[in-house]
Amino acid sequence: MSLFQRAKKFDLGCFANIKTIRDHTKRKAFEAAEPERQALRYIIRNTTLPARTRAIAQLQLTQMHCYTRPTQIKNRCILGGKGKGILRDFKMSRYNFRLQALEGNLPGVKKASW
Amino acid sequence: MRMPRALELLYLKPLRREAEFGVPSCDLQMRSYSVRNLEFFCDFALRAAYYLGLPAFGPVPLPRITERWTVPKSTFIYKKSQENFERVTMRRLIQIRDGHPETVQVWLAFLQKHAYYGIGMKANVWEFSGLEVGKAMDENVKEVSELLEDKWAHLGHKRSLEGIENVDEFLVSERVKVSGGR
Repeated sequence: MSLFQRAKKFDLGCFANIKTIRDHTKRKAFEAAEPERQALRYIIRNTTLPARTRAIAQLQLTQMHCYTRPTQIKNRCILGGKGKGILRDFKMSRYNFRLQALEGNLPGVKKASW
Repeated sequence: MRMPRALELLYLKPLRREAEFGVPSCDLQMRSYSVRNLEFFCDFALRAAYYLGLPAFGPVPLPRITERWTVPKSTFIYKKSQENFERVTMRRLIQIRDGHPETVQVWLAFLQKHAYYGIGMKANVWEFSGLEVGKAMDENVKEVSELLEDKWAHLGHKRSLEGIENVDEFLVSERVKVSGGR
């Protein structure tokens, strides 16, 4: 998969390592190929079209590069690039979230007790 | 010695206009994580509404939104010691009744110009027009669609397939693209 052309510009301000760069490339690839994917998906599901056309569309959809699939996209921590335990609200891993929250960098987030 | 009236009013509750018909024309919702800022800005909005001649109602305290997150303090083996964090969003609603649409716009623009830190605002605005709205809207669509055309160009296909006949052609072009011209 490394043959895939990486996006020319890394237009994110987050922590950068090869994993975040790859994820960025995947997002770009998915964005670029989305209309094609949707058109093929539509053709595959359209029962009024001839079976051959639909089969061809199916083949073409499977032959598209795996980076153009939405399932390849994974949320990553903007401070450490971690891939697991990410809080979607803050785009941060749980530990970085805790550090930032204790430091008071996240507006409105306080230690809770109830 | 007495203070000037305008100054003295700042120490009193904001004045209000009477609504004659009570037809709502704008709902302004303000959100913040701090009550103090929110109360202050509500007061400001009410005073602005008074001086613009808009009958304002509120501020109505809407239910608070509490979000909570529980995270382990350290690595997974210490899963038993966790920490709780929360973010409470306070909300206030100000309703304008019987407001002229343009005045309401002026009010909203004024509030936006003097926006206070840490406060989000969102407004629902209702306008009333005469009968046969459909015709007026149809005419509006023509104007708006011209403005929107260059925005639509950013979305989706540059050209549509325009009918079932062209599906084969599309698939051929796709095949060339996928196989890289082979």
